[in-house]
Formats: sequence, C-alpha cells, structure tokens
Amino acid sequence: MTRNQRLVALAALILLALVPAVVTDTYTRHIFIVAFIYGTVAVNWDLSLGLAGLFNFGHLAFFGIGVYTAAILTTALDISPWLAIPAGGVTAAIAALVIALPVAKLQGIYVVLVTFAFGQLCMQVVLSQGDLTGGAEGLVRLPYLSIGDYAFIRDFRFAYYYVALGLLTVSVISLLLLAHSPFGKSLRAVRDNPDYAAARGISVARQRVLVLVASAVFTGIAGGFYAIYLRVASPEVFGFSVATLILSMVLIGGAGSILGPVFAALALTFATEAMAGTRGLEEARFIIVAAAMITVLRIAPSGAINIFSRFLTSGRKT
Amino acid sequence: MDGVLIPTLVSGLLLGSLYALMASGLSLIWTTLGVFNFAHGALMTVGAYFAWTVSEQLGLGLFTGFVAGIGAAVIAGVLIELLLVRPFYGNRSMMLITVMTTLAASTILERGISIIWGPRLKQLPRVVEGQVEIFGAPVSAHEALIIVLAPVVLLALWWYTGRTRSGRSLRAVGQNASSAALIGIDVPRTFSLAFGLSAALAGLTGVLLGSIRFVTPGLGTDPLVNAMIVVIFGGLGSMGATAGAAYVIGMMEALLILWLGLYWTPAVLFMALILVLVFRPNGLFGRAA
Repeated sequence: MTRNQRLVALAALILLALVPAVVTDTYTRHIFIVAFIYGTVAVNWDLSLGLAGLFNFGHLAFFGIGVYTAAILTTALDISPWLAIPAGGVTAAIAALVIALPVAKLQGIYVVLVTFAFGQLCMQVVLSQGDLTGGAEGLVRLPYLSIGDYAFIRDFRFAYYYVALGLLTVSVISLLLLAHSPFGKSLRAVRDNPDYAAARGISVARQRVLVLVASAVFTGIAGGFYAIYLRVASPEVFGFSVATLILSMVLIGGAGSILGPVFAALALTFATEAMAGTRGLEEARFIIVAAAMITVLRIAPSGAINIFSRFLTSGRKT
Repeated sequence: MDGVLIPTLVSGLLLGSLYALMASGLSLIWTTLGVFNFAHGALMTVGAYFAWTVSEQLGLGLFTGFVAGIGAAVIAGVLIELLLVRPFYGNRSMMLITVMTTLAASTILERGISIIWGPRLKQLPRVVEGQVEIFGAPVSAHEALIIVLAPVVLLALWWYTGRTRSGRSLRAVGQNASSAALIGIDVPRTFSLAFGLSAALAGLTGVLLGSIRFVTPGLGTDPLVNAMIVVIFGGLGSMGATAGAAYVIGMMEALLILWLGLYWTPAVLFMALILVLVFRPNGLFGRAA
C-alpha cells in the first residue's frame, strides 16, 4: 500500500468516527452499522478470494455460522452476548478448518463446488434442526448488548455504531498487516505463480488451510455481532442473494486490494438500502446488484478481478 | 425390513434419476466449454413456471406447457451463453469469471421469477395418473415415468454426442477448440448448442420436478446442491461417470434418510464427500486432470 492510500484510509477512518456527531437519526446510523458488518465480511472474503487467489465461494457460510453460534448460545444456553459474539469467530474458524481439509488438495472448479456446496449444506442443516435453530423462521428476540444498565441500542444506536466501526477497523488493520507480512507475500506468490512458489518451498496446501481459517475468524465474529445487533438469526444469510451482494462488494471494490471492498461495502449498502425503501424495488434491488456485478466483470474482467494479473504490476509497491 | 427397503430403493432410484438429468446437463457444458453453469437450477425453475403458466393459467394442456417450459429454458440458457459467458472466451480466468456471472444470473432469474409470479405456491399436474408397482412397492405412475425416462434421455444424449455429426462436434470443441475450428466446426455455434441442449435438459427436469414438488422460486436451486455433490463425486469429465455417481448418491441419500432420518442426511452426505475428496481429490471415478 502506498503512502497516499494509507492517508486516504486514515482520513476515511477519522471521518467515519465523526459521523455520529453529525448523523443523529437511527435509520442512517443503522445503515452505517450494517455497512461496517458487510464490509468486515467483504474484506475477509477478499483475503481468501482476492489476495490468496483461493476460489472460496462458501465465505458466507462462515458468517452464517457466526450468526447461528451467537443466536443459539444466547437463546438455548443463556450465555452473555459478550461471549457469544467472539464464540462465533471460534466456530467459524473450526468450520473453516474442516472445509480446508479437502480444499487444500483440490484444483480449480472443484474448490468452487466444494466450498459452495458447504455453504448450501450449512443452510440445509440450519433448516432441518428446527428445535435449535428455529428452522425457516429463524431465531428472534436475542438479547442485546449492554454494559451495566446501559443498553447499546440507546442514544440512537450510538454505542453499536462504534462497536461495528471498531470491528471493521481491527479487521482491516489485521488484514493489512497480514498482507504485508512475509506470509502475505507468500500468498501472493502462490496466487500469481503456484509452480514457482512451490519450487521455492512454499506449501500451497498449508497456505490454503491458514488462509481459510484466518478469513473465517473476523467473519464469524461479524456474524455473531450481526445476530446480536439485529436480534434475529435467519437462514437467509446462507442464501444466494446475500452472497451475491457481498461478492459484488469484493469485485466492485477490486479483489485483492482490501481497502477497495470497504468503500464498495459502504456505497453498496447505502444503495441497496435506498432501493429497499423505494416501492417496487424491494425485490429488484438484488437483480440490480447482480447486474452491476456482471457489468463490472464485463468492463474490466481482469481489472476488477486482479486475482491473476493486476497485482503483478502494482504488487511490487505493496 | 423388506417392507421398507424396496420402497426406499425405489425412491433412491427416483432421486438418482433426477440428479442424473441435472448433472448430465452440467457435465455437458463443462466438457464443451469449461464453464460451470451455476444458473442451471434457475433454468429448471424457469421451465417449471412457464409450463405452469401455459398449461394451467392459459389452459392449453400439459403437453403444450411442457414444450413451452423447455423452450423458455432453452431461450434463457442461450441468452446466458451469449451475454454472460461469450464475452469472456479466451480470458485466462474465464472459469472463475463465469462462475460469478452465472451465479449472478441465477440471482436475477430467481428474483425475477418471484417478482413476476409472486410468492404463491404452484403445482403442475402429473403427466400420468394412477399407481404402478415396482418390485411390489407402490409408486405413482408419474414417478415411475421419471425413473424410466431418465435413462432413455441419458442414452439418447450419449448416442447424440457419440454418433451424430453435430454431437461429435461438441466433443471436438471440448477437446481442442482451435483444432475443431480448423476442420471447419463453427465453434461459437457449438457453444450455443451446448448451452441450449443443457438448458433443455434443465427445463425438462424442472417440469418433471414441478409435479412432484411445489413450484417455488427455489425449485431448481435447492436440488442443485445435490447435483453439485454428484459432479464432485463423479468428476465432471465424463457423462457416464456423472450418471453413475448420480444413482449412487440418490441411493445413498434414500438409505441415509431411512436410517438417520431427513435431518442429518445432508450433513452426513457432505461429510462422506469430504472424506472421499481427502483421499481421492479428483472424485470417486475421476481421473487426474
């Protein structure tokens, strides 16, 4: 990352931290909070898909696992949401480890199929275990976050805003540190030239396991927070539509760039929320997002997806 | 045990037939273009809804409905090829990009269907009424028809791709597109042909499924996951292995439902798949690429 990019990121963070001083209505803050959560999911997907070039299409499963971990722990076991949210990160990481076992050895389309099927199977399990998960209706009325007597929903979601922003910031900073570490460099080496990387002693299989687990941690925590914040867990999080939305954030923001998907997440969340509030567009917004994603892929197939080539040139600087 | 086992095997046969129809459509596109069509399930749904509109809403009869459903799926399939796959030929990351574009197409079709037809459940009438017995197990005649029809369709497809000129051109393009072009095969037309044929299979599966299950916007996308498990198991390379894997998975699923119940079957099936892949990364019957 260049110095300019770092300055832009820092300026953006300061601006976002000041937003609650200006924006005082609950609804706008709510969209910001959702955008921060989606942004966290998108940047972590970018780690496996963009930075490591791993064809992971089951990323939303980690998010959904976080959602349901927090929801089940707080409803069935009465555990405090403060513990249930990070627990989502733990279960997501364990799930990532399980899925990484076959993925470490597979090639090309089979990686796509296995990870995708994994996400859909998580949904089937959630739907079938109705006693625990609430089935198709999901779980509702989860406990909310509070410290002492102060509920985080108060003061127009003031506290929730900063928790969400904090989550996104910590996640982005860890990813940037990771991307610039020797490990991150070896990830790009494997992505850009797997044969050469293997010849230099990098274990592709080990990399894939580590990347999947690393990308699952914050995604699971984001899922846990999402459930507690909205106070519901619904099987929709595993569906095609949410996956398409987050994927379009990664692609439109520029895969492999980490900061790009954050800005795309903010823009797209506001755009889709605005469409959700417009009559006649409630369903159509998913179509519009999908069409936008196709357009980006058509206009800049190797520009938006720099999984293979773009970082060959700009990657030297990062 | 006898009283339960035979009906279970018959229902496994039914599942296997449906998976074989779906998976052979996926495999056809994969072997010809190297593209995995994530919108295949949505094409099934398109077929079922058009068949419902023509046969039930317009009252033109089931046969006309079937033709309309399959025709609509073919048109949608060819459009997907033209708009979402063709622009990326020759791109180094074509496989990955087309995964995303067909995934987007699936969302567009599914949401579009739910906007046009609304959330109310619909059902197609059965092709044939009444019941038949297979090895003493009572089966509805419609399901028996699917069980008989699937191998016939697969054999016809096998004959077509192996014995006819245009069918063999599909395989030639799949093996080496530039050499195929050199000997005078119209490669882009062959790509459309593969997509159209696969979409016709999807439409057929959709209309058949539409009279067993309720027609919903998710009609095709739900069984698509199992069709994926089939193609991972069998490998995408050969139609025979894919069809074989479809019946194996169908039988396994039916037996697992009998032993473990409906709830745990998907998870156990998936765990079995992961185990197979850990030891055989190219699928059960697959060969190294």
